[in-house]
Amino acid sequence: MLQPKYMVTPLTFARGDDDLIDGLRAGHPGAAAVFYDRYATSVHRTLQSVLGRDADIPDLLQDVFIRAIDRISELQHLDQVRSWLTTIAVFTARAHIRRLARRKWLFLFSPDQTRQRHLEPPSSDARRALRETYRTLDTLPANERIAFVLRYIDGLTLPEAAAAASTSLATLKRRLSRAEKKFIARVREQPLLEQWLQEGTRWTLERQG
Amino acid sequence: MSNLANGLGKKIRAALDGENAAAEDVRAGRKTFIDYVATRDVRRASGRRLSWLPGVRGLSFGFVGAAAVAAAVFVWMRLPISFQVDSDSGPVAAGNPGDLIEANAVVPTAVRFSEGSSIVLERGGRLRVLSLESNGARVLVEKGAADVAIAHRHAPGKWRFEAGPVTVDVTGTRFRVDWNPEDRSFGIDLKEGSVIVGGDCLPTPRRVQRGDNMRISCGTAAKTKLATTDVPAPAPAGEEKPTPAHSTQALARHELRDVRSSDEGDWRALVAAGHYAEGVRAAEHVGWSRVCRTANAVELLSLADAARLSDQTPRAVEALLALRQRFPGSTSAATGAFSLGRLAFEKRGAYAEAARWFSRYLDEQPDGPLMGDAVGRLMEARHRAGDRPAARRDAERYLQRFPEGPYAGTARAILAD
Repeated sequence: MLQPKYMVTPLTFARGDDDLIDGLRAGHPGAAAVFYDRYATSVHRTLQSVLGRDADIPDLLQDVFIRAIDRISELQHLDQVRSWLTTIAVFTARAHIRRLARRKWLFLFSPDQTRQRHLEPPSSDARRALRETYRTLDTLPANERIAFVLRYIDGLTLPEAAAAASTSLATLKRRLSRAEKKFIARVREQPLLEQWLQEGTRWTLERQG
Repeated sequence: MSNLANGLGKKIRAALDGENAAAEDVRAGRKTFIDYVATRDVRRASGRRLSWLPGVRGLSFGFVGAAAVAAAVFVWMRLPISFQVDSDSGPVAAGNPGDLIEANAVVPTAVRFSEGSSIVLERGGRLRVLSLESNGARVLVEKGAADVAIAHRHAPGKWRFEAGPVTVDVTGTRFRVDWNPEDRSFGIDLKEGSVIVGGDCLPTPRRVQRGDNMRISCGTAAKTKLATTDVPAPAPAGEEKPTPAHSTQALARHELRDVRSSDEGDWRALVAAGHYAEGVRAAEHVGWSRVCRTANAVELLSLADAARLSDQTPRAVEALLALRQRFPGSTSAATGAFSLGRLAFEKRGAYAEAARWFSRYLDEQPDGPLMGDAVGRLMEARHRAGDRPAARRDAERYLQRFPEGPYAGTARAILAD
């Protein structure tokens, strides 16, 4: 009869949600896989909302999860995970926007910048309009852009958006108001985008006028 | 405001979702993240002191006489340091000199000393702390690589690392050392401070300084390949006489032999240490059928994992079928059904069979921890098996329950097909 000397742990994490945080703290690779599989799409969605189509999103997605796992001790309950990850995703995206802005200053006409613009040739009106939308959002300050995106594109409530942006409700509302005015004003200067947006949101532009 | 959110925002959101980039991006990041989690202890341990040290430092001296304190400190400082072993396969455990310390193939093992020094043994590595003193220890690296961080102290420490015939004497530094007993190659990479490398492989001891790395091949003839400052090291004052290299070699060989002979029949130890292929071989040596008859449910799952990870699919299937036969109705048996589905899907492309196993898991554990994954995989297996109506039903079921889950992109693609 074999006498077990070692505790043998299966690699598959087959325990319940309550044990997931403990598993993550213990560095169980199976728990990490469950954690990632469960929340990666949601984090991806937030990053994509803030940044649009960006070639760096796969790297940023990893950054968010690595930050999360390094700060897993802050997390007490599993029901906080989604909003907590959204906050980290917004923080990561904001840093990325600022990094891009600095790079733009340093390499205004670099081949890198030019190439990025042509990575995805527009294949439909929707894609073209999407690209123009994010070009417009690129002109907003990072914090205003984030407020706008979280509220209008991600569809968060005002308190949720404020929490995700790590700011107060009053500040978020101010940023949102400024962002909305600037965005609509700039959309008016782009006939293609205006037409695309008007198809379903005609009132939005009229309202500003 | 809400009209704007419902109109403009939804429109942009729908266009973003139409890009269908999420599934690909999510898959691309998965492996890197899981590898990061598996190795993060290396980074954490190299900069961390034992959590209970601040408690010692925080002792209140207010009501204790100065002489008593001085005496206590004197006694404490003369006591040998202690160490703890922190690995994934069990709780943090106090270490004893001579214990074999191994890191499995998945997660590194950290050895933390009470005075603040630490060693992180990388995956697949093996070492022993041979002896402990008040200001250092003697460590034998039997196999693999170890990241070492020796705490700086007021008095010079006395640390010695041995790897085959090579010795490394340390005072205060950070370095990485590795030893491969098969080709008898030794390497050291200094990150901070300096060490003295000696032993039978070198004609004279050599000092290796910060930024240097050294590779030595200790084959039949003593050959060295150095990329170091070629400065002969002075013998440190008060240094104990180095252990003769041949005795170190003999010790290493003897201990390795002990390890192999004691572990040969114990597949559990090998699997727990991450030696999956060896674990499977050891179980075969004992008798695979016998192991499948005698092991408990968790052990059978582990053995199946070991067989799966060492590409021995038939063995994994056998262990899982035994698990289901011997422990029907248990959670482990349901997990076994999930694993059988995964093997059928990933290893054999038997999608219809995979679908049956995932379906069985869901019957047995409708709200089990693998439920989301099982529904997603069931949908994918049915789709690949050509059962489109069932795959569509699964896709709807999946999206209803997990609209942002890892299989949501696939589910939408199936519904749009």
